This record gives sequence, C-alpha cells and structure tokens, in this order.
Amino acid sequence: MRIPVSVQHWIVPVAVLAAWEAFGRTGLLPHYLPAPSVIAAAVVETTRDGELPRAMAISLFRVSIGFVLGAGSGMLVGLGAGLVPGIRNFFDPLVAFLFAVPKIAFLPIFLLLFGLGNESKIAIVAFSCFFPVFIASRHAVLSVSRHVIWSAQNMGAPPSTMLFRVFLPAAAPQLFSGARIGLAHCFVLLFAAELMGLQGGLGALIVDGDNAARFDLMFAAIVTFALLGFLGDRLLMAIRHLVLRGQIVGTMEQLVR
Amino acid sequence: MMANALRIAGRYYSIPLLLVVWQAAVASGLIESRLLPSVGRVFVALDRDIGDGVLPYHTAITLSRAALGFALAAIVGVPFAAAMARSTLVRNLFEPIFFFGYPVPKIALFPIFTYIFGIGSPSKVAFAFLECLYPIVVTAYLGFRAIPLPLIWTAENMGARRATLLRRVVLPAALPSIFTGLRIALPISIIVIVLTEMIGDSRGLGYYISVSSTRFEFADVYAAILVIGACGFVLDRAMLWLRHTVLHWEPDEETGAVL
Repeated sequence: MRIPVSVQHWIVPVAVLAAWEAFGRTGLLPHYLPAPSVIAAAVVETTRDGELPRAMAISLFRVSIGFVLGAGSGMLVGLGAGLVPGIRNFFDPLVAFLFAVPKIAFLPIFLLLFGLGNESKIAIVAFSCFFPVFIASRHAVLSVSRHVIWSAQNMGAPPSTMLFRVFLPAAAPQLFSGARIGLAHCFVLLFAAELMGLQGGLGALIVDGDNAARFDLMFAAIVTFALLGFLGDRLLMAIRHLVLRGQIVGTMEQLVR
Repeated sequence: MMANALRIAGRYYSIPLLLVVWQAAVASGLIESRLLPSVGRVFVALDRDIGDGVLPYHTAITLSRAALGFALAAIVGVPFAAAMARSTLVRNLFEPIFFFGYPVPKIALFPIFTYIFGIGSPSKVAFAFLECLYPIVVTAYLGFRAIPLPLIWTAENMGARRATLLRRVVLPAALPSIFTGLRIALPISIIVIVLTEMIGDSRGLGYYISVSSTRFEFADVYAAILVIGACGFVLDRAMLWLRHTVLHWEPDEETGAVL
C-alpha cells in the first residue's frame, strides 16, 4: 500500500507535534517547553483579553511601514543605479561595505537618534530592507538583455516608454526576489529591535513572558510572530503572482513557491 | 596610469566623500559629536582597540562561533539535500518543512534556544546552524534536482557504479548551486552570531557593540562595525576565490552583484 504524497507531507510535522504534546502531558519535558495545547490555550486567552492583538498590531505597523520605506527607496535607488552610471558609482562601494555588516549593529545609534519608540524600529527595519532590495533592483536593470533595449531604442521609444515598457517589466521578477529577501530581513530586525528596545510589540511580549516565567505566553507570542512572517511572505508571493502572470512559467522561480 | 587612477577615483569616490562630509558636519557642530564621533576619533578608537587586543579577542570569538555554525550546516545540509533530491520518500517527508519553513522568521525561536542550550556559545552556534541550514539545503536541493537526466543515464549506461555516479556526475553538476547556497549562508552566520550576542552575552563583537553603546562610547561602536564589515567582505571574497578554484570550468558568479 502506498501512502499518498499529500499525506506524506504531513507525517513529520504531525509526528513532532504529537510527540511534543505527549511528552508535555506526561511532564517529561522541561518546564520551559509547554505542550502545544497549553500554548494554544495561551493564544486564546491573550487574544480574548486583547494583549496579543495589541502587540501584533504594533509589530505589524512597524514592519509594514519599515518595509514600504526600505523596499521603496531600495527599488528607486537601485533602478537609478542600474540606469545611471553616476548613481551606480556612488552607491556601489558603500553598499559593498555595508551589506556585510549586520544592520542590527546600528541599533544603538538608531535608538539614540530616533528614541525608543516606533521611529527607531521603523528606521532600522527600513535601513536593513534597503540593501537586498537595492542590490536586486540594480542587478535586475543591468541584466536586461541588450537586444531588447536596442530593439526598443531602434523603434524610437522615448525614455518614459523605455522605463515603463522595457526596463520595469523585464526587471520585475528580480525586483520581487529582492523584496522577498528584504521582507525576511525586516522581520529579523524587527524582532531583535523589539527584544532590545522593549517598547511594545510581540518582541516585548516575549520578554515579558520570559521574565515572568510564563512560557505559554512567550510561546504564544513566538508562534504569532513566526506566523506573521510566514503570512507576510505569502502575501508578497500572491502579489507577485498577480503582477507577473505568465512570466514565471518554467523558471527556477516557479520551483521556489 | 593617470587614466587608470581617475577611473578608480571615479568608482570609489563616494566613501572618502562621505567621510569628509561626516568630519565636516561633526567639526562644525551640526551634529552633536557625542552621538556621532568624528572620523578621526573612530580611527583612533579602532587603532587603540586593536592595539590592546580587545577587538581581536571579540572578533575571534564571533568568527569562531559563526564558522562552527556555518560548517555544521554545510556538513549536514549538503548530504541532506542530496538525499532529498535522490529519494522520493525523504523528499516527501521533508520538502514541506524546508519550503514552508523558509519564510518563517526563525529568529523568533532564539529565546527557546537559550533555554535548551544555555546562554553561552552553544545556543548561538545552534541557532546559526539552523539559519544557515535553510539556504544551504534549499539551493543545493534545487541544484541536485536540476541535473539533466541524460547526464545520469549516459553514465549509468557506461556502467558507472553508484559511488562513481555520485562523485563524478551528480556532485560536479550540483556544485555551482551548492556554492551559491554556501555564499548566501556565510554572511547569515556572522549576522546571526552578532545579533544573538547583542541580545545576551559577555563576549563577542555583538556584546562589545551593545556594551560600548550603553557606555556612550560610540567611537568604539563604529570601530566594531568597521571590523565586522571588513570580516564579511574578506570572507565573501574568500568564498568566491574557493568557488573559482573548485569550479574552474564554470564562469564566475557575479561578485555580490556589486563591485
């Protein structure tokens, strides 16, 4: 008898959860690993009293504004750098150096400049999102086929047509890849900033649960944060799917769902 | 000669230009120098911290942790990706974990890691391992999957045994993807270690940055950032060199899409 593939996909996650639950019930797990059912109860409890939705709203607000600012500026500057050698020469050495630096290293400076509130978190999230998006956008423009550019120019396309009908459509798949990496950076930075900056949000809720030894609370916030990151990525991929209809069939992009 | 110098100046002018603007802004009092120390003071701090061995000490700790996590992820990840690509059962069992788990911000799990592995090196190495494992497995897996079947058929037809097939056909064909994954994972390992050191430790560059900033010694913070940037840059170049040496038959990957 063969097990259907769709069932096989679920074997490992379900087995892990079941073992976790079983060990948690029998008390074999250390106290800092509450059983999944206990975590689920904590999610329900904190959702009812509004603590979890409030923290989630704060985190979501910070990450979405930061992502829009960072990805937007990264795309604009990256497209500019791809099209104009002067802009490219200005940003390339800076990005080559800063790209390898963990952006969280700038957090103390951002905290001093922008305070402990939303501003510093949004700024550091946007700052870290800028780099992967910039690199992908710059690369996307530069790798547009010469023949496509020449053909369009040959047919007398004005600069605006070149930009909107040639460069942007050709670069769009890579723009989305950059935005996707940027979004992942956003969540990492937001988490670290909230953990250290302690002004609301899911990160602060995790620290609270940790300090109070309420591990069910801590896990509820962790699960919510992980889910938020996952859904954010799914949303971006859904948008990409709409924008790039028919452009990604048969490419590597299609494999990485 | 002259044209060459001009060309180089044209490509790299932005860093000295920004340093001059920075220095001018601090010197003119536009920016409070306590928040943003002057360029000169940063380099004095860099020189002092390297001279008295503080920065080399923390750098060595950060790099050794990152290297350990990265190496473990590579040693586990590449064979695992090969197993996933070659065996339907392994693929069906683990593919969803890697493809659905990929966008999950794994940093959220770090507090749990500190409980399981303690606050010191092990939790950080284990976390770097997890963060590096994903890009390594996913890119290597796609590489193993993308091997043209005629290559394998031809080798089998000529009587290649499984070990020969693996060593002479499958591995060389997948190596470019493996290197791509390793190159993505390498900076991640450093980023993750510095980040977790900032969250809580008493050693390493991340700790040095957070403790210097609480002492308002921002020249030291910038000095540490410079060191991290230099390490990341050198390691990326080393990885490219390794790729170039091992994959002498492949065209080089673009150098980080910049420079």
